Amino acid sequence: MNVLAIPLLIPLFAGALSLALWRSTRWQRVIAVLATASLLVSSIVLLQAVLQDGYVVLHTAQWAAPFGITLVADLLAAIMVVLTGIIAFVIAIYSLAATPAGHEKFGYYPLLHLLLAGVVGSFITGDLFNLFVWFEVMLLASFALLTLGGERAQMEGAIKYVTLNLFSSAIFLMAVGLLYGMVGTLNMADLAQKIAQVEDQGMITVVAMLFLISFGIKAAAFPLFFWLPASYHTPQVAVSALFAGLLTKVGVYALFRVFTLIFVHDVAYTHTILLWIAALTMLTGVLGAAAQFEFRRILSFHIVSQIGYMLLGLALFTPLAIIGGVFYIMHHILVKTALFLVSGISYRLLGSYELRDLGGLYRKKPLLAILFLIPALSLAGIPPLSGFFAKFIVLRAGIEAEAYVVTGIALLVGLLTMYSMIKIWAEVFWKATPEHTHEQKPLTDAVVDRGHWPLYVPIMILGCGTLLIGFYGQPIFVLAEQAAAQLLNPQGYIDAVLGVQP
Amino acid sequence: MTALWILLLPALGMVVPLLTAKWGRNGCTLMTALAPLAALLVLLQATPSVFQAIPIVSTFEWVPILGLSVSFHLDGLGYLFGLLILGIGLLVILYARYYLSDRDNMGRFYAYLIFFMSAMLGVVLSNNVVQLWFFWELTSISSFLLISFWSHKSDARKGARMALTVTGAGGLALLAALLLMADVTGTYEVRELLQQGDVLRASDYYTVIVVLFLLGAFTKSAQFPFHFWLPHAMAAPTPVSAYLHSATMVKAGVFLMARFYPALSGTELWFVIVSLTGMITMLVGAYLALFKHDLKGLLAYSTISHLGLITLLLGLNTQLAAIAAVFHIINHAVFKASLFMAAGIIDHESGTRDMRKLNGLFKYMPYTATLAMVAAASMAGVPLMNGFLSKEMMFAETLTQETLGALSWWIPVLATLAGALGVAYSLRFMHDVFFNGEPIDLPRTPHEPPRFMRVPVEFLVVLCVFVGIIPQFMVGDLLAAASLAVLQHELPYYSLSLWHGFNLPLLMSVVAVIGGAVLYWHRRHLFHFYGQFADRDAKQIFEGAVQALQTAMVAVNHWLDNASLQRFMFLLVLLALILAASPLLHLHETVGTQPQLALNWVVGLAAMLLIVATLLTVWWSHRRLLALIALSVVGLIVSISFAYFSAPDLALTQLSVEVATIILFLLALFFLPQSSPVIDSPFKIIVRDLGVAALFGSVIGTLCYVMLTRPLTSISAFFLENSVPGGGGTNVVNVILVDFRGFDTLGEITVLGIAALGIYKLLARIPLYMPTTDSKGHRWSQDRHPVLLALVSQSLLPLALLVSAYIFLRGHNLPGGGFIAGLITAVALVQQYVAHGVDWMKGRIVFNYQAIIAAGLLIATMTGVGSMAFGREFLTTWFDYVSWPIVGKFEIASALIFDLGVYLTVVGATLLILANLGKLTTTERLRAGEG
Repeated sequence: MNVLAIPLLIPLFAGALSLALWRSTRWQRVIAVLATASLLVSSIVLLQAVLQDGYVVLHTAQWAAPFGITLVADLLAAIMVVLTGIIAFVIAIYSLAATPAGHEKFGYYPLLHLLLAGVVGSFITGDLFNLFVWFEVMLLASFALLTLGGERAQMEGAIKYVTLNLFSSAIFLMAVGLLYGMVGTLNMADLAQKIAQVEDQGMITVVAMLFLISFGIKAAAFPLFFWLPASYHTPQVAVSALFAGLLTKVGVYALFRVFTLIFVHDVAYTHTILLWIAALTMLTGVLGAAAQFEFRRILSFHIVSQIGYMLLGLALFTPLAIIGGVFYIMHHILVKTALFLVSGISYRLLGSYELRDLGGLYRKKPLLAILFLIPALSLAGIPPLSGFFAKFIVLRAGIEAEAYVVTGIALLVGLLTMYSMIKIWAEVFWKATPEHTHEQKPLTDAVVDRGHWPLYVPIMILGCGTLLIGFYGQPIFVLAEQAAAQLLNPQGYIDAVLGVQP
Repeated sequence: MTALWILLLPALGMVVPLLTAKWGRNGCTLMTALAPLAALLVLLQATPSVFQAIPIVSTFEWVPILGLSVSFHLDGLGYLFGLLILGIGLLVILYARYYLSDRDNMGRFYAYLIFFMSAMLGVVLSNNVVQLWFFWELTSISSFLLISFWSHKSDARKGARMALTVTGAGGLALLAALLLMADVTGTYEVRELLQQGDVLRASDYYTVIVVLFLLGAFTKSAQFPFHFWLPHAMAAPTPVSAYLHSATMVKAGVFLMARFYPALSGTELWFVIVSLTGMITMLVGAYLALFKHDLKGLLAYSTISHLGLITLLLGLNTQLAAIAAVFHIINHAVFKASLFMAAGIIDHESGTRDMRKLNGLFKYMPYTATLAMVAAASMAGVPLMNGFLSKEMMFAETLTQETLGALSWWIPVLATLAGALGVAYSLRFMHDVFFNGEPIDLPRTPHEPPRFMRVPVEFLVVLCVFVGIIPQFMVGDLLAAASLAVLQHELPYYSLSLWHGFNLPLLMSVVAVIGGAVLYWHRRHLFHFYGQFADRDAKQIFEGAVQALQTAMVAVNHWLDNASLQRFMFLLVLLALILAASPLLHLHETVGTQPQLALNWVVGLAAMLLIVATLLTVWWSHRRLLALIALSVVGLIVSISFAYFSAPDLALTQLSVEVATIILFLLALFFLPQSSPVIDSPFKIIVRDLGVAALFGSVIGTLCYVMLTRPLTSISAFFLENSVPGGGGTNVVNVILVDFRGFDTLGEITVLGIAALGIYKLLARIPLYMPTTDSKGHRWSQDRHPVLLALVSQSLLPLALLVSAYIFLRGHNLPGGGFIAGLITAVALVQQYVAHGVDWMKGRIVFNYQAIIAAGLLIATMTGVGSMAFGREFLTTWFDYVSWPIVGKFEIASALIFDLGVYLTVVGATLLILANLGKLTTTERLRAGEG
């Protein structure tokens, strides 16, 4: 049996089922954990299948490509699905303790599943229009999740979020339409094959730029990222952690997909633009973070900055650089989710996300301090944590490609990231708890407060992930290398989808 | 394995203090010391091979593809540093046992200390540049943790942060340098790199490499102008200062220069930067040390000065200078560590480090005082002490320099001046603290420290003297081995002995000692001179710089992201415009070769209407109802054009969507003001936005035109051919929806379901009350449920449902299908809501819309999964024709079940939205509003 559709069907089915069990939050919780766990398992099965065969292809409704919609998993897609599984599972556990009852009543769990379905669908689809459909699933589900709770700040953030993302969708749709009008197909492998036959390659470049903008908005690249810091700090923390980990990476994934498979006709032009976008994304993100004093807003700006590193990998377009980009995505999803989850616990303990209201966690909650420190140092690129490798590979690729200015920026951004993490550390953990915070809710002496284990376990899992990648880097690197090799050899993908042409 | 064990033992020993902290202070100290002691023994056991220059290398693969391996090597230089790190480390552990108070968390302190020890050993033993850098960063982090050990103190936190920022920044520069070096030479192995000095020096990147490399080294070793962090690191507990910030960590920078000496030195560039920096640092450090009232402050600046001395020697480009540098590394570590420990004892026993209060302590602690004075004499470079020997070697080397041309004599003169300043501050340390009258209100009455607190100091001071008197015996082999590692080839002749006869260097020493004494004697004038300058505190400057950066960031950030959606959209469209338009500039042929249809009046009129309606929508955008009407015209024309170009299915769908949407809009508008507030944007902003929008629109228009006028071969023909034989339906659009691209439809109904949920949630908590008038004060009709409407709609309901069933069933072959049928049903039901009100409907239809959506999604998904049960791919359809009596031949298709799922989702979603919008108008809400 073809295992490719399973990771998509599980969240879809779980979403529908949770919806049917609208009144029973208890069952919805059970389904949430079970479904995400099986999503994780099925994603690992998929990864194994891909490792074995190179590509796993499913022609839905048995219509041969390019006529039906083909689902394709190459290594990158499979890796992304596994990461989705991991994040989904830890978020589901975290949600058990963190989700307010009001959110559960208004469909938190069904929306969570459907969002995951959108994410997985985006990763495994091999059809450009179908990608649009899953983007829409994701966009609407994330918008609905953003507004759960309905506070004023949330609505403000959500409106910016949805407006800018709808603009992205509109451009996406326009670009797909134009591309179909020129090439007459929607299957990505088929597009890759036929695009060289188009007479006016300049038109292809224009369409490529439209895709760059559309996906750039999704990925929160400069100067298209404003919706992200405007909205990610507003919803409840499990939601922002999920978004922080996964959503922008779908945009990055889409960029990786189209700019390695389809739009490689004029790399000197398209990827140079990508390079500068990457550099500016890194820089503005980290500088924006330096200006923030709210836990989640700082982290949000760092998402932007880290996206720059991933795009840098794509833009340099050398084997090593692509490996770096893929590696960076893997590392970042784990680490950033963990950091957001930590911010959620500190909020639980002290009732605020503002740095000035936080403090004293180093003495009272040493475990939490360690759980923050691991991903924070990883984010800053301190060895032997995963972030070090990610940065190291990208930097090395930059030097080898002789892109010194951009590499220098990447180094500088690393330092500023460090500075930001120290800022949080100093304010939230070192500093004594401010008086006014203390009056509300004194910290207990327990290492982990009663009922908080579901909040800690996910962070521990993610922390172990970054440590594992660090100490046991070789297999992960080999995985990234194989994924990159596939990306740089699109013919394999094309043959897998369309069958080997005579 | 030897090299690995030396590092591994302390690394494993890191947990020991944490585990044994409960065993009391002695137990904990003893256990903690075991691991470093074992490592020291391993190191000593390797002595013979190191002295015979037999390399000891152990390599393990880590990520071999990346050139990352775990590789250690032990050579003379590593051996020397290993000895310092482990030896002084052990002494510091013993010392800290007495220094720390009961309130301090001893286990944590020792754990950090051992952490640092391992990291530092990693730096000196690494044979892989990336690994070296990794340990380098770890030393910064452990130093950060140790400086901030008393994290409740603000200056400890700030000092730690400053140290980490400066050394961390340097670390990044170093990483860049190391990566460049590896890129140029093609190897990540330190040992191999050292052989490639010529390749590096010849490379185009040599300058960049050297500058970045030295940035790393200088920040770590507190060289001017990066020296400012070191004095602030003195907020750390004194054992930390003695260990990290004088004996070992700050030596990492000079270690690095020594390590890569064969690869990078030997050029004018190296000489100028390194020697000048060293010279300036030496002078500035010595000068500032003289004026510090804080005991540790004096020692910190003195450390800076001595680090400058070593740097200067490494920059002098003679082999003897490099040997002198190595020698001074040993000597400085020994006497400075003992001085710090002595200072710690004084602080510990008297309660202050302020030299304005500390006077005449000789009476109270003669023994400690003697030790401290011997060490200080060594620092001053007095004969019979080890400090004298290396300082004199330095003087000798400065005399041979010619780089400054006719002004080369500056070098020895300035060196002598620095020597004199060194003597002066050493004298101050001795005279001010131990003599010079009586102590001034000390917090505690000083006395001798516990016996074992003094042992480390005694040990080091004895070393000072012995090395000073019989150098060749004490350190001759060690120095030779280490120097060999630095120079990488046979050593030149040099003589280690106390007496070299009357020569110029000796004269310089004498001048320095006398000059220093004179300077100290007249210190009053000097202090007066120094006092004229405002005291610039590096911490304030640094924090100020950080604050300024912060402010600048806030400003830049605000400029970019002013939280205005308008600005965001502007930037977005602008970027889209620039990126999309620039490749178009190179496109010369706008019109393609595709033959174009003749323009007839129907098309022309429709196009005109479309344009006018669109413009009106924009023009009326502030008057919502009008805009809505214009918008519906747009929708209508689009529907008609679908029908005109023979796509009846699309036309039907578009039409029903239009209807549902307009009803939704109207319902929403009911609660909103009839006109949106006119945003009074400045005129130039309006022009700007209008311009960008028009340009972008024209780009898209051009694109469409270019695209449409070019010939196209598409996959569409396949659908026409295969619709009946493969999909079992003559309506190609429907077959595409439920079969060819059924997967899209599955996604789209999911979107619809989610949208409904989202809107439901948004409406659920809205505190809206039913308005009785519109925004202009016109009263709404009181006849809320007109009888006629109720009657008509009620009687129409069965008909509407019948139509929708018909549309649904025929969908596979004729225009229609689940989506359209769903919308028709929904609209028919909504009409009942409109006609009768929510209360009336509530009693009659008990629908759980969420359940309907869920059922629709489940049916659609399960139809797809069902095909997998038959061994087919996901979503594969099945159809067959059966002959029924009367009805005749009839088609059964699994696609119909899928379509049923679509139908249910559409009905559920539309009703969930509409009914909940309608619910806002119930009477209860009205009463609540009035009451």
